[in-house]
Amino acid sequence: MNFSSPGFADELSADLITAWNATITAQYNALAVDFGSRFFRLDPAKIPAPTAANVHWTGSPAEPAFCLGEKIAKQLSDWGARGRHGVQNEYCEYAVTYRTDAAGRTRPKRVQLTTELREYWVMLAKRSPTMVRKMVKDILGTEPSWNDLYGVDDPKTLSEPEREIRFSTLVAGNGNDAAMIEANVPSDPTGRLNTDNALFMSHPINGLDDLLYIVMFGAKPYRDGLAPGAPQRANREQIFRKFGVEHLACRHADPAAAMGAYGAVFEGRAVAFSDPIGMYIKSFSPDLFSYKDAKISPDWIRFSRGRGKIFFQRLEFGPPDTSDAFLDDIVVAVGADTEKLDNGYRVVERFEVGPMVVAGPPSTIADNEYVSLETSREPIVCSEAKVCERIKQLKMQYDDAHQSVPSRRMRGR
Amino acid sequence: MPLQEGIYSGPGQRASPYFCMIFLRVQRDVKAERVGRDVHALWEMLQGLRAGRVLDLPGHDVPNDNLTVLLGLGVNVFELTGVRRAVPEPLTNFGRFLSPSPTGGGSLIGGSGLAYANDVTANPATEDVMIQVIADTQFATSRAVVETWKFLADAAGQGFSLALAAFFQGAQRTDGRSWIDFHDGVSNLTSDVRAGVILTKLSGVAGDKWTTGGTYAAFLRLEVDLPAFRRLKVVEQEGLVGRTKLSGCPIVERTSAGWRAVEGCPAAGKEIGGPGNEPFREPPNVADAAVLQSHVQRANHHREPSTDPDSGRIYRQGYEFLEPSSMSPGVRAGLNFVSFQDTPKRLFQILTTEGWLGRTNFGGDADAELPGMAGLLTVRAGGIFVVPPTTPGELFPGAGVFL
Repeated sequence: MNFSSPGFADELSADLITAWNATITAQYNALAVDFGSRFFRLDPAKIPAPTAANVHWTGSPAEPAFCLGEKIAKQLSDWGARGRHGVQNEYCEYAVTYRTDAAGRTRPKRVQLTTELREYWVMLAKRSPTMVRKMVKDILGTEPSWNDLYGVDDPKTLSEPEREIRFSTLVAGNGNDAAMIEANVPSDPTGRLNTDNALFMSHPINGLDDLLYIVMFGAKPYRDGLAPGAPQRANREQIFRKFGVEHLACRHADPAAAMGAYGAVFEGRAVAFSDPIGMYIKSFSPDLFSYKDAKISPDWIRFSRGRGKIFFQRLEFGPPDTSDAFLDDIVVAVGADTEKLDNGYRVVERFEVGPMVVAGPPSTIADNEYVSLETSREPIVCSEAKVCERIKQLKMQYDDAHQSVPSRRMRGR
Repeated sequence: MPLQEGIYSGPGQRASPYFCMIFLRVQRDVKAERVGRDVHALWEMLQGLRAGRVLDLPGHDVPNDNLTVLLGLGVNVFELTGVRRAVPEPLTNFGRFLSPSPTGGGSLIGGSGLAYANDVTANPATEDVMIQVIADTQFATSRAVVETWKFLADAAGQGFSLALAAFFQGAQRTDGRSWIDFHDGVSNLTSDVRAGVILTKLSGVAGDKWTTGGTYAAFLRLEVDLPAFRRLKVVEQEGLVGRTKLSGCPIVERTSAGWRAVEGCPAAGKEIGGPGNEPFREPPNVADAAVLQSHVQRANHHREPSTDPDSGRIYRQGYEFLEPSSMSPGVRAGLNFVSFQDTPKRLFQILTTEGWLGRTNFGGDADAELPGMAGLLTVRAGGIFVVPPTTPGELFPGAGVFL
């Protein structure tokens, strides 16, 4: 079968559908060597009597929270493009849009949130610049220049590989793609189109390859090798330790996706991504937000980039430009307290995101199919994870950047 | 640093059947050190009671009836003058519920469908110190209250800083059901994963390290509107709960013939509580939108691993209650909901998130509640407490906050 465009958001030509499926298949094939098994099917049509598997998680960045606490997590996550590319790695990225109010103050107006896959946009940017330009226009309301997208006046004069390099440099980042790294494409996009805005995800971890990897990684019949007798379920610690990826175990996305798949597989069920493969907004809790003691106006909550209620990949939250209100006029309930909404973190933490995963009926797992794990079941101490060193460095950079400049008189002392 | 007693989470452990939650108020004008000394004195008295020693009966010990004592501290304690620890980060946002309206009722927290009962104008569980006592007999838990009162009364003239504010009693059912007659608590966490949910992990917040190995307790005294629930048809009740009423089997689908439960359930006997039915206690993942709105599906999204607070898993240890009421029908039935978790954020997430219990009182379609079900549960009291670990050398759990 062929996968449709993520979220059924775009009408793709047959050629583009083929190209998108070739992208998916190439990523799958690269992973299948090490992680393939009868318990993961790329083609969901091969799953008999499929039932939906519950695979979703909160969209807010977990790493800064378990490393340094919620307060600093909020600080770092909201640090513009630096924060986005530093910590927004739960398959959900956001950018805050600012506008000037009547008093001339720059204030947050809206939060743009996206779960769209970088690979999909890059595939289109290579093959159909006009389509990508139209998609950006549909999202932002204004047509971007070719220079904003490709750094040239006319991308049609470029070869497909050249378009990929230029689009990745300006808009998508290298996505940890070896060819892009080889071509000196930086990790973070250098243009403003996808940094001032959140068009699609550009953090290297939020990619299709990682999404496939983590579900395939979990889709193995692991058993606790330390428990004698009948096969017992392995725990998260054993699984992530065995493969030396403890650093992934403390995030929201990776354990939820891997253990969600594993939970089904341990019952002998095969799992697959249902069509269309992508990342979706699974829930949002608008009742926690209020404006002037009333519920948020529905036109301040604009879902898009997906068909129907279950395939949305984008949300723009906050008053439109035609309104005098600003994001920080909104109040959000946090526990029993309320806070002025002057950031995106409090929005994204009320989101749940995830892929659409289906599981088949149970089957008998043969003894020789089990993957026995003798690794320790002891808890992984998240606050001591290696990634926390990087988060602490980011925090120091944040503090440096936000240090108030001493007055001339103070400096003179 | 071990967890305090009174959390029955180990393999094969079963909580004793009688429960009481005692709330103590600290005088606002005293310093933390004085409060610490007073809590220590009270703690010593309660430890004596655990050993069967009653202050007024020196040398004449009594049966202790397996009394356990657990101590928790509310967020207000950290505002005392001279306090030696900063408020733990999980309590900064998730350390209290909203107050009831002065005229009664009012939302428990924004985004939740739970509200205070209309006759509740003050929350008696928002206090500084919480003491949970559990024992084999109701008398033993009652005695803990009386001995606490006697102790406080004797100390009252000495500038003692603590006062008895409220207490709530309850008892466990032996049939695995709740007052609405459906099975309850049968899909609680399996013992092998409980510690990962309950125990506070080493925090990245330096000032919170002392809480490592402890836990956070949430308490809600929930009244159940039994007349309203009983007015529903059984098929409506089952849809609301997500289980069949008699067997307790989880519902997976709505068909033209009614609810369809998990195939093969029950495998033995008549109900899921019996041996051989362990695989059916945890409701499975379902795709049916109507079933997804049921209480059991909303309360647990089967998100793994449970060690991650994002899983929304909590360890429940509830006790039913029944008390006289001056209002019809003359009795008030309900649940002392008690949960232990590494951060109270887990509970707030369950109660406020769309698709979980957010916007709904108990379950069902939040935009079209069945008659009376928007108020099936009402809150009579509620509080959140840090339950410090027992630390060698400390006079009582959490003594370092005061002394």
